[in-house]
Amino acid sequence: MTGTAATTGLVEVAGLEKSFGDRQVLRGVDLTVERGTATVLLGPSGSGKTTVLRSLNVLEAPDRGSVRIGDAAVDFSAMPKEKGERRRRIKALRARSGMVFQAHNLFPHMTVLGNLIEGPVQVQGRPRDEAVAEARALLEQVGLAGREDAYPSQLSGGQQQRVGIARALALKPEVLLLDEPTSALDPELVGEVLGVIRALAGEGWTLIIVTHEVRFARDVADQVLFLDGGVIAERGGGEVLTEPREERTKRFLARVLEAG
Amino acid sequence: MQAHPTRGDGTGARARALRPVLLLLLLLGALAIPLAGPASAAPKPAHAQAAPAKAASHPTVRVGTEGTYPPFSYVDPKTGQLTGFDIEVVRAVAAKAGWHLTFTKGTFDSLFPALDTGRVDLLADQITINPDRQAHYLFSSPYTYSHGVIVTAADNNDIHSLADLKGRTAAQSQTSNWTQVAKDAGAKIQYVDGLDQAAALIAQGRVDATVNDNIAVLDYLASSGSKKIKVAGNAGDEVSKQALVFRKSSATLRDQADQALAALAKDGTLAKISQKYFGADVTVPNSGKVDVKASDTGRSTWQVLQDTAWPMLRGMLKDTIPLTIISFVFGLAIALAVALARLSTYRILDVPARIYISIIRGTPLLVQLFIVFYGLPEVGVKLPSFLAACLALSLNVGGYAAEIIRAAILSVPRGQFEAATTIGMDPWQSMRRIVLPQAARIAVPPLSNTLLSLVKDTSLASVVLVTELFRVAQVAAAVSTRTMALYCLAALYYWVVCYVISIGQGLLEKRVGRYAA
Repeated sequence: MTGTAATTGLVEVAGLEKSFGDRQVLRGVDLTVERGTATVLLGPSGSGKTTVLRSLNVLEAPDRGSVRIGDAAVDFSAMPKEKGERRRRIKALRARSGMVFQAHNLFPHMTVLGNLIEGPVQVQGRPRDEAVAEARALLEQVGLAGREDAYPSQLSGGQQQRVGIARALALKPEVLLLDEPTSALDPELVGEVLGVIRALAGEGWTLIIVTHEVRFARDVADQVLFLDGGVIAERGGGEVLTEPREERTKRFLARVLEAG
Repeated sequence: MQAHPTRGDGTGARARALRPVLLLLLLLGALAIPLAGPASAAPKPAHAQAAPAKAASHPTVRVGTEGTYPPFSYVDPKTGQLTGFDIEVVRAVAAKAGWHLTFTKGTFDSLFPALDTGRVDLLADQITINPDRQAHYLFSSPYTYSHGVIVTAADNNDIHSLADLKGRTAAQSQTSNWTQVAKDAGAKIQYVDGLDQAAALIAQGRVDATVNDNIAVLDYLASSGSKKIKVAGNAGDEVSKQALVFRKSSATLRDQADQALAALAKDGTLAKISQKYFGADVTVPNSGKVDVKASDTGRSTWQVLQDTAWPMLRGMLKDTIPLTIISFVFGLAIALAVALARLSTYRILDVPARIYISIIRGTPLLVQLFIVFYGLPEVGVKLPSFLAACLALSLNVGGYAAEIIRAAILSVPRGQFEAATTIGMDPWQSMRRIVLPQAARIAVPPLSNTLLSLVKDTSLASVVLVTELFRVAQVAAAVSTRTMALYCLAALYYWVVCYVISIGQGLLEKRVGRYAA
């Protein structure tokens, strides 16, 4: 939309800045994500990684900088005056991504199937039958065939998170955003969720993942971004995790691996 | 994917959700117009003022009376019909004057406000002529001559005359002329709704005396057979005169009444009615000894309950339950709008909502009822009794339930709103499809409490002339004097309704909570 995209990345972020009160959490973040790749965001607590992720679908509105996903772009430094136009742009950007939350945030009053078809039917206005058929296929994909009529409270944590992933996929987003998808799970349930994400990466989905699971990150990551103090301190391929150049990356990895 | 068929989207700020509230408020406003509109513009029975123009036709004249003041104005337990000396007199007057009558029953203290606000055209309730009232109202020529008596407990030997009332406590209706007599004698006044309540307080030793009309007291003694109270002496020597009361602007109606009364005196009708009730002609001065036959004799308590059970049930089905349902539905609609306004970041919505809640929770429901019924007519909004009660109760429920709903909405985790946003919902959709259904589960138990309170609060509607369940019990108690039994029966009726509601609450909790672990 802004017409300045020189690269071919599916996701382009430039000069992202964000403050909460007088605390500046993002100090100019730039990143590019190619279509069909998995990008892992790493960093110590408070480094701004979750804020970057939440900026991509404007759950947090950045103060400055721009975000483009596919052909939808929002320049937060130069927002249009007119409210309706602002909303239209944000809405278009949001429609390009799906979000998986740390605490899954499933709708507890709807069944598994209800959670999956809510967006397609209520927001995208697609026929119910079609949405239901696709939802069943997605459930099969995440290993939950036959649990359509269960309520979220009747599922285990791992199952809930897999429904969360299926719900995000049901909207057919161009990129899937995952915010620490296994942090709230019991250790023995982590594997099943990571397995599903690994499979998605294998199928060519574009993924952006905030995670502390370094081993998993090594497996799936095409790109690793290490955030510290609101900037990207180190970026590269999987080698960032095995042979980091930056001192703070090394320290962080040592701490995480020790704890894990 | 861009062409989602939805309206505008927010920027993720939860507050934006509340823009559509404006719409809802407008909608409610639109609903309120047909509610108030036809009520104030409703085809009213011909006003007194309209009478001269239509003198030839038969104007409808609305009569205000207590219906709990035997033998003058009461409901005959055998027929369920309004009857009594005053009622027969005003019916005879209407027959002569060519009026068509309708009756409205209310507590004595509600009668003058009802006349003031044009809800009735005249009062027929043994109303004594005094200078104060003459300054504000028109009286017909008198149709009863009586005197006041002092009533005390049977074992009280200290009170024989007005002078003895000094420093004692007397139970009186607020606006009764006898109240002034007792006050002038130096008595402290305990306000009650009518003679039957005053007599009960005296029998229970809670007050020392009451001053009332000779005939009314004799009737009470004959009906109740009470040995606990007695006539202790005359309240002065002055003969008091009772007459029909009209607004100042109703001179024509008053003149028609006077002509009719004169004719009824001449042809002996008044004397005949008086003889029937009192064994003497009280429609002229110096009637001689009055002999009151009890307006209700010899019914056992069980019989009284049987006779009253159906009228009370009717009062419940016709007024109590509809009042409850209508007020609750409108109250919840108001509450939802006000709760959303309270959650809004727009001060223009939030501040009025705060003020409304503060007023409703900070003032008695009784006062709210009086303001809606007797106050609003002064600014041109005259609602019929039932609608006025509905409006006051709806506003009351709205104020309390708004805070319940607000708290329930706030208890839904923020992540739910975010999840709804990420699947593309606009704030209004998120509220409607995601947040409110979850808030409902939390709000059901406290809202059930509100509903149960409302059922019982409808009994206050009797002050705005709605003859609901409790008022029916009061009317029956006035004639039969079986106060305890009748009020217990009324309590049983309320309990049954509330019990049914609490069963419904259980079912509803199950239904809205079926997803909870």
